[in-house]
Amino acid sequence: MELPQRERTAELIEELTTSGQGQLNPDKMKELKKICKVSNDCIDHVYHLLMSQLNQDHCEIRLSAFQIASELFSRSHHFRTLLVDNFQEFLELTVETDTEQPLPPPKEVAKKLRSLAIQTVQSWQASYGSAYKKLALGYHFLKQVKKVDFQDLEARTISERRREEERQRKMERIYKARVEAAAKEMEESYQEMESTLTEMESCLRLLLPEFGVADFQTDTSSHSNTQPASEGLPDVQQPCCSKALTDVETESGIRGREDGPEEENRTPAGNKNQDTGNEEEEKTFTDCSDPPKKGTENKEHNKEEKRQSEVKDGSEEGESSEEEESVEECLPLRSSGLISHAYSLDLNLSPGLHVKETEDNEAVVSTVIELHKLIQTKHLPAVQGWVQVFTKSRADEQLLRRALDLKRSLEGAVQKHKELHIDYQTRSCREKTDTSDDDDDDFDEVPEKEGYEPHIPEHMRAEYGLDPSPSTSTAQPKQKRPPVKRPAPPPPQTTSRRLMRLLEEQQDPTSAAATLSLLRQKISLPHQSSSSSGAASSSSQSASGQQAAQAPVVPFGLDLYYWGQEQPNAGKIIKSASQHQFWVPAEVEEEVENKELLEQSKSRYISFPGRFVPVSHFCRAPLGSGKLCQRQDRLKCPFHGPIIPRDEEGRPCRPEDRQREEQEERRKREQEPDWRDAELMRDIEAATGEDLGSDRLGGKKKKGKKKKKYPNLSDLKQSSDTSRSRLERKVFNKSTMRRVAQVLSKADRRKHDKFSNQFNYALN
Amino acid sequence: MLGFLTARRAGLDDPLRLRRAESTRRVLNLKLNPDRDVDRIHGNGINSIDIETIEGRYMLSGGADGVIVIYDLENYSGKPQYTCKAVCTVGRSNRHVHKFSVETVLWYPYDTGMFVSSSFDKTMKVWDTETLKPAEVFEFESNIYNHHLSPIARKHSLIAVGTKNPKIQLCDLKSGSKIHVLQGHKAEVLSVRWSPRYEHILATASADSKVKVWDVRRASGSLFSLDQDNGDKSKSSSEAVNTAHNGRVNGLSFTSDGLFLLTTGTDDRMRLWNSATGENTLVNYGKVCNESRKGLQFTVSQGCSPEFVFVPCGSSVAVYVLHTGELVTMLRGHYNNVDCCKFHPDHQELYSGGKDGNILAWVPVLRASDMEEESDQKNKGAADSSAGNRALQDAWSSDED
Repeated sequence: MELPQRERTAELIEELTTSGQGQLNPDKMKELKKICKVSNDCIDHVYHLLMSQLNQDHCEIRLSAFQIASELFSRSHHFRTLLVDNFQEFLELTVETDTEQPLPPPKEVAKKLRSLAIQTVQSWQASYGSAYKKLALGYHFLKQVKKVDFQDLEARTISERRREEERQRKMERIYKARVEAAAKEMEESYQEMESTLTEMESCLRLLLPEFGVADFQTDTSSHSNTQPASEGLPDVQQPCCSKALTDVETESGIRGREDGPEEENRTPAGNKNQDTGNEEEEKTFTDCSDPPKKGTENKEHNKEEKRQSEVKDGSEEGESSEEEESVEECLPLRSSGLISHAYSLDLNLSPGLHVKETEDNEAVVSTVIELHKLIQTKHLPAVQGWVQVFTKSRADEQLLRRALDLKRSLEGAVQKHKELHIDYQTRSCREKTDTSDDDDDDFDEVPEKEGYEPHIPEHMRAEYGLDPSPSTSTAQPKQKRPPVKRPAPPPPQTTSRRLMRLLEEQQDPTSAAATLSLLRQKISLPHQSSSSSGAASSSSQSASGQQAAQAPVVPFGLDLYYWGQEQPNAGKIIKSASQHQFWVPAEVEEEVENKELLEQSKSRYISFPGRFVPVSHFCRAPLGSGKLCQRQDRLKCPFHGPIIPRDEEGRPCRPEDRQREEQEERRKREQEPDWRDAELMRDIEAATGEDLGSDRLGGKKKKGKKKKKYPNLSDLKQSSDTSRSRLERKVFNKSTMRRVAQVLSKADRRKHDKFSNQFNYALN
Repeated sequence: MLGFLTARRAGLDDPLRLRRAESTRRVLNLKLNPDRDVDRIHGNGINSIDIETIEGRYMLSGGADGVIVIYDLENYSGKPQYTCKAVCTVGRSNRHVHKFSVETVLWYPYDTGMFVSSSFDKTMKVWDTETLKPAEVFEFESNIYNHHLSPIARKHSLIAVGTKNPKIQLCDLKSGSKIHVLQGHKAEVLSVRWSPRYEHILATASADSKVKVWDVRRASGSLFSLDQDNGDKSKSSSEAVNTAHNGRVNGLSFTSDGLFLLTTGTDDRMRLWNSATGENTLVNYGKVCNESRKGLQFTVSQGCSPEFVFVPCGSSVAVYVLHTGELVTMLRGHYNNVDCCKFHPDHQELYSGGKDGNILAWVPVLRASDMEEESDQKNKGAADSSAGNRALQDAWSSDED
């Protein structure tokens, strides 16, 4: 075997074994095999190289070496003989037959190696066992003495297997119990759900009866069908529409018209009624949607709106018209025959539909809401849980199907409800007005009181620690507020003890009252303004309130407390000279006037440091490691001086800065003594093997530390670099220990010095 | 070989000469032979094996599980492939089986109808081979490490027993009683051997690192104890007494002619002594790994012209030239420590038993097979046809080209 070949083999093996990969590089392996094929000498050489690699204390190396060995084993008789001759050692190194020689880390790789080796030995035994006695012996040794189960690919021990089985059985039991419970639960609540569903269905049908009347009976729920019909045949639709109109008017109130404000907000764009989002309305006012009528119609709607719900924005108040007019106007328009066939009508129908709550359908809507809530919060999660349980435990298909059906129908109901777009806003508004109006409500329905309530009814204001101003004084409550307001302003008229207590509570940041007051401040007053009677000044007030909120709150001192008063004993110090019974010093000036104190009580310093603004810039000076300094100092970095603008690579942007930095660098280098030349030191270090610190010196030139020998292998020492070990390094540092010991011994000594002569302390 | 044969035919050579030459050659060619197997009966380590000397056909083995097995070594099938069958077994189901590990098994030297086994259950049993029932049971107060019957004794039938007790017991098979005690050791006796030359000479090895040679007719004490320094006080450390080893002495074996005595100790040494004078011959065998805490059974070849000694050494058996101490070869095949080995003097075969529960037969590889292989090379195609040979062939696939 020639020298270059030998070298190449060694190189190949080293590369293959130190790759750190789970699989061998096929190209290199091929080359190696090619070399091995030449002669038995090569195989000898390869064998010895492999054995030395197998002896390495790194499982990744061993694994790769083992893989090479198994490749060659299946090919070369000579290699087989060699390996089988030394099979004991081979097993020790790969299967861990010797308990005193465990496989080296990393652990996962060791596990893999072990199982792979066991599998491989088994396959070897199957194909070569008869020819190689020692192989067979080794196999039997593993099987009978080491009790390796070759069937179990995981090469687990018996106890492990048993544990696994136990676990599985336990899981099965748990699943079974769960399935049973779920099935039982389902049985129980199936009825309820069904009834809920039917209820919901009928409610929805009540809300939207047009499905049944205006459209075809066959599909009540799908709106998509109605759309092409109305679009395609606008004329044919007309009679239908009028019918629908009457239906709407008679049955479910004037639902469609409530959309007025919305419509107004939308700019009526030319001929097309853009995106009204209400099919019903479209249908109802097919002929009203032409531009000339638009304005009046909107007005009518607004009027209607106004009447329906009393609380409305003031801005909308101005417009008013008669709603009956609209209907009357609409009808003649239709019957007049103004709409000719040449008259093109574009309807843009959006698929959604809106349902407005009115007095008529209130009960239905509330039922729907309740049902919806019930489904969302109770039924759906439950059904989802069952489905999960059933799928996970692979339970009876019947059960699963039933649960899925249930889920589907529930979801369908929810979906339907969503498609209706029932407008709850008006409802909540009305409810609120109800509560505020009906004082004699007997408190039957108490709205939830816990936590934050932005709107507090008048009669309960005192209870909440608020000034009962609306009733007592005509002025707005907000006007009472001083321009500079403390978190809880002391209302001047408060007299009752209860209110005092509430006030105290407010000061306590943990109490509910304090939170309340804070919230009230935060959500500034528009809410309240909307709830109270709208006044023109409210907006300006809210602005000033905002200003007040922005103004800094500073603690006030004694001077303000006594503002404008003459303080009789300010700055006077009373000397109580002696409290002795008999003995009194000859003359005592009982009171001493202190100028400074007097002045202090009259002067006032208000320190207002401004607001803290976090520093958002970095120092960005280039570091030795090639990174940029990440310190965030406001003005000056303790390491790199004043913070100056720098570019991507950390160079200063301004030329003068750059110059200065260069100068500094030069000066630094000059200060360095000759012998500390980085190159020279590196040479010396290489020769002596001692660290003289050349890395630090030439930091910028020499990148990184000494390169790892095999970068592909996982680093075994790396595991030691955990947070724990780092902490340990810090805590058990020699100097730290010494320092702590010093402190402790000092404390001890002090105690000793103080108390050593006392029996009681001397003992401990 | 041919030269020896012609010389023998011409009457130039002693018949013994040819025999010696051939047996030496065979011993040197000992290999783990795939043709020879021994039935795997023992579930645990094998502590002792013995081959009877009358026919050389039956082998006894005693295992750490208390089981005793008798194998038939003779191959009458006419085929080279042979598995030594277990003729009979004193298994765990046997009523008389030893409760604990069997330490020593020995054939009665004159008859295969009887064998003796001793065990850690503090009993020594004399078995009737036919019925596999103990004819006699000797009970002791402590664990028995070793026992030995004199191979040549005509005037007595004594069994020397080494136990945990430092006193050596002599049991008489004729009366079935313990008739004699030899005192002198200070620690447990790990090995005892009768001289194959003089029927009353007994050698004992103990954990107190001494080896004593006794004449059982003399009650007062041992003849002498072996001294590794041959009486040279300057070399011996502060110890005044004669020690054979610097650790426990756990192996003892006479050469077949009885002129020399071999001892092994836990100091990883083997020493050869002149059994007549007790002189250390100072043959250097190098390091002989020996971790056994019990007795070690090793063996010396018989009828070779330089004699060989086979010593268990870790998981292999080391073969040394007796008088020069040269390491001939290491027989590697066991997967755990080897505890015992026995040389078959008629067939020049070696049997070894180890903790891995295997009994391995080391059979000489004949030169004829070498020639066969050469012929194989010539007509490879024919050889390839047999399945057994295929496993021995290289299987380089063409894609590696």
